Amino acid sequence: MMSVAMSSFGSEFRFEFPVCGVREPHTIPFHSLITIHQDQIMQSIVRLSRAPLALTALTLALVSCKGDSITDPAGESEVITRVTLTLTPTTGAAISAFIEDADGNGPNPPSAQVGTLNLPAGSTFTGAVRFENRTVTPVEDITAEVLAEANEHRVFYTVTGAGITVNSTDLDGAGRPLGLRFTAAAVAGTQPGARTLRVLLCHYDKQVKPAVAASCTVDTDIDVSFALSVPNIV
Amino acid sequence: MIDEYHNPIPLSLVEAPASGAWRDGKRAARIAFAAAAAAVAGALSGSANVLQGQAGADGGPIGGVRRIHGELRDSASGSALRGAEIQITGPVTRRSRTDAAGHFEFARLPAAPFTLRVRLIGFAPLERVVDVSSGDATVRLSLRTSTISLDSITVTANALADPLARVAATSTVDAAELAATRGQTLGETIKFLPGVSVVQFGPSIAKPVIRGLNSQRVLVMNAGLRQEDQQWGTEHAPNIDSFDADQVTVVRGAATVLYGPDAIGGVVRVEHDRVPDGGSLKGDVAFNGFSNSRQGALSLGLLGGGLQLPLVGRTGYRLRFTSRVAGNSAAPDYFLTNTGFRELNGSATLGVHRPWGESEVMLSHFSTELGVLRQAHVGNFDDLQRSLSAPPPDSSFSYGIDRPNQRVQHTTLRVRSAFVLPGAGELEVVFGSQANHRREFDNHGPLRARGIAAFNLKLFTNSLDVRWNHGLQHGFVGTIGTSAMVQGNQTLGKAFLIPGFDLSQAAVYAQESYAIGRVTLSAGARTDVFSQTTLPFSDAGIRSEAGTRRWNGFSGSFGGELRLTDALTTSVRVARAWRPPTVNERYAQGVHHGTAQYELGRASLDPERSAAVEAVARYSTTGTTLEVAAYSNQINGFIYLQPRAPVLTIRGAFPAFNYNQTDARLDGVELSGTLAPTSWLRLQGTANAVRGLDRTNGGPLFDMPADRATLQARVVGTRPQLGNWYIGLGSVLVREQDGVPAGTVYQLPTAGYALASVDFGSANIAIGGHRIDAAISVTNLLNTRYRDYLSRYRLFVNDVGRDVVVRLRVPI
Repeated sequence: MMSVAMSSFGSEFRFEFPVCGVREPHTIPFHSLITIHQDQIMQSIVRLSRAPLALTALTLALVSCKGDSITDPAGESEVITRVTLTLTPTTGAAISAFIEDADGNGPNPPSAQVGTLNLPAGSTFTGAVRFENRTVTPVEDITAEVLAEANEHRVFYTVTGAGITVNSTDLDGAGRPLGLRFTAAAVAGTQPGARTLRVLLCHYDKQVKPAVAASCTVDTDIDVSFALSVPNIV
Repeated sequence: MIDEYHNPIPLSLVEAPASGAWRDGKRAARIAFAAAAAAVAGALSGSANVLQGQAGADGGPIGGVRRIHGELRDSASGSALRGAEIQITGPVTRRSRTDAAGHFEFARLPAAPFTLRVRLIGFAPLERVVDVSSGDATVRLSLRTSTISLDSITVTANALADPLARVAATSTVDAAELAATRGQTLGETIKFLPGVSVVQFGPSIAKPVIRGLNSQRVLVMNAGLRQEDQQWGTEHAPNIDSFDADQVTVVRGAATVLYGPDAIGGVVRVEHDRVPDGGSLKGDVAFNGFSNSRQGALSLGLLGGGLQLPLVGRTGYRLRFTSRVAGNSAAPDYFLTNTGFRELNGSATLGVHRPWGESEVMLSHFSTELGVLRQAHVGNFDDLQRSLSAPPPDSSFSYGIDRPNQRVQHTTLRVRSAFVLPGAGELEVVFGSQANHRREFDNHGPLRARGIAAFNLKLFTNSLDVRWNHGLQHGFVGTIGTSAMVQGNQTLGKAFLIPGFDLSQAAVYAQESYAIGRVTLSAGARTDVFSQTTLPFSDAGIRSEAGTRRWNGFSGSFGGELRLTDALTTSVRVARAWRPPTVNERYAQGVHHGTAQYELGRASLDPERSAAVEAVARYSTTGTTLEVAAYSNQINGFIYLQPRAPVLTIRGAFPAFNYNQTDARLDGVELSGTLAPTSWLRLQGTANAVRGLDRTNGGPLFDMPADRATLQARVVGTRPQLGNWYIGLGSVLVREQDGVPAGTVYQLPTAGYALASVDFGSANIAIGGHRIDAAISVTNLLNTRYRDYLSRYRLFVNDVGRDVVVRLRVPI
């Protein structure tokens, strides 16, 4: 039991003490720490009987040396700040729209959707979703990471409103749906009007990703809703 | 073991009195054995509650008609000495103080020899045998001034504790009780003391709650140093090795005069005995096993006094090494996924005792890795809703710790010196340096960055305390001191929670008590200045302003204890305290894992200011003790998390809270008592109730513990081979907590529940030439399904089920 505990702590068993005047605290190996402090301690004890004031001066000096404070988070490498949908019709130019949460993890809500997604009745599109971190320069493409960890991710598409169907087309390494690519189709004769497409990036992490799933049952990484519209027939 | 004034009586004192004027060796041995057996039986019968009945070891009834009274004078001047501590040990142990005329009296003593000890700072201790077997005794004693410190007697109750113990509600768990009841963590060990609960995230994270207040309002002191381990987080458990404690004392109510603004709710003091002065190597090996989480904890301690160091001379030492491994805990129907934990701790102390006083150096290291319940880390509000309603997933037992998890290391260097001032007490200087490193890993993260922590916070704290513990000076006994602390924080993780900051704090205080006949008055005053500087931060949408804010404030307390009769004392205390806002209350920004709640600090928060009144009545005779405490604590500017509109991000919606202030009041009552109707039966009970009110908005405060009562019955006895054995039954009764604030999903009320426990064990079992202590206890005997209101996992899972705990201790 001890060995289990020690092996898991093996790499952690280090002492950190700030050293006066140094910008960053540095890690002192255990044995040299004892040497450094033992001398100071011995001197302190010897001095004790002769000059309590010296001890006070020593300790006051140490009190003020605590190292510098810093705020330097490594940066949320997984922050996704923009979700872009690009729909390419069988003929014609691609359309795209994005929703951006400029402050990332901050409290401000995501922006309104930029770009309109018009799906004429009877049309079919191939679609792709793109996840980006736009708080850094150059812009970080998170889609590539999701693709690299396809076994742990799935994008769910849920349409609210009649007449539009969205199905994901790509698969991960084990043949389970991934959802970075999809097809979107508006049924011929469907009523014009607004629809909503909810895009949800599900992160399976340690759970085994099921082959079949209707919705995300674990952790949600992205949850945004895009407005779609079926335009009036001109 | 404690006396009627709730001052702890060190076991060593009762077991092995120092050599004195023993005339009859056989009688001395009989007294020592009787005292030791009484102390151990008394201690073991108390489980976690410390109000002890006292009984004779030979099983006979305790009554008494004898009296000892006497007079104490200064041998040099002949004047009466007031306020000296007189302690008599024998079949019973009592303590008293000399009054203005130097008089003291003990009544209703059994007819037996007693050892009488006199202690007064600045004088040499005195010991005398007083035999009242054949009649009452009157003694005249005189003390000589001395430069030699009082260390022939192991002291665990110091001058700092005494003034408070008389007027504040205090509970103590001594070494024997700690060994018999030690839980998986420090919080679990003290959770059944009166007035104490714990906020829990499973058994591995248990934070003390005193009278409804916790975290930054409850100070934890470790070996005389304020424990600075980022205690502002509710899921940041105290980083203290629960094996490395010789005594734990809980002071309920504001103790801010002596300990600073953090102690606005109370103090948990983890105390170490001083290192011995001479004596051979002693040690112990302790093993605790918990069946519920298949946990094993092993602790090795060494203690000795005869080390000869170059330049320094004779040095005492104390070493402790503890290791703990636990797997997933089990609720009655399923395992709590990912709740295992590990600990690896070590501490080493060297100390010298000399005519000028004493000095000690301690270096300790605590490290832990613990898993957080998998379900407790949710993605967003929808995920949380799903988690709340779905049954816990199938899970099995495992020792593995996965994400989400925490890794914490805490390193402490402490130097303490006490210089004897002849005729004027002692000057105590304590220097501490602490480094705390906390990393929290969430269960999101790309493969390539698995090792990068979401939160990575380092806290460095240096502190210096200088105190003059003066003995009797013009009738006053007390402490005058100064305290200084500087602290720096580094925020390094992937995600932002709090900014880097610098904190400086300085204080001057005095706590004095004055005895007039049957009344002891106690007063204290303290003034603090604080300076908090935060570093600017701006990235990924989080913006944290820079700035420095300074606060200063005054704390005070005034109280009195009246000794109505030998058995009955009452005390009343009023206290005024304040607490500046912490950095997380001012600058938190982001999702706090474990709760999926988005917390937003408010930089403009003002300090909390509290005014409290408390009354305690204590009744203590042989065989019966009873304590009733009632309090009302009004806190203006009480800082809490107020629900607000959800925060929308690209990840979805999160329940959100702003740090805000309101005027609050906490009222409560605590009862505890022990009864020893016969020599072989011990009964014990406690009851606590707290009501927290938000005076501004009406309605209850968040995180108020439910009303609770504990009952315990034990049969005790002594056998030559078996030692001091006991068998007991216990129960914990908790009322429903329906006093919950409205408006958020977290404030789920909980139903009441009742738990049963059984325990049996023995101390001083003779096995192969060794004397070992062994105990087995079964908690939640009936495998009851329940959820405690203060368990943060109650949203997702039931609390733990049956746990068979084995505790062994082998002295070596």
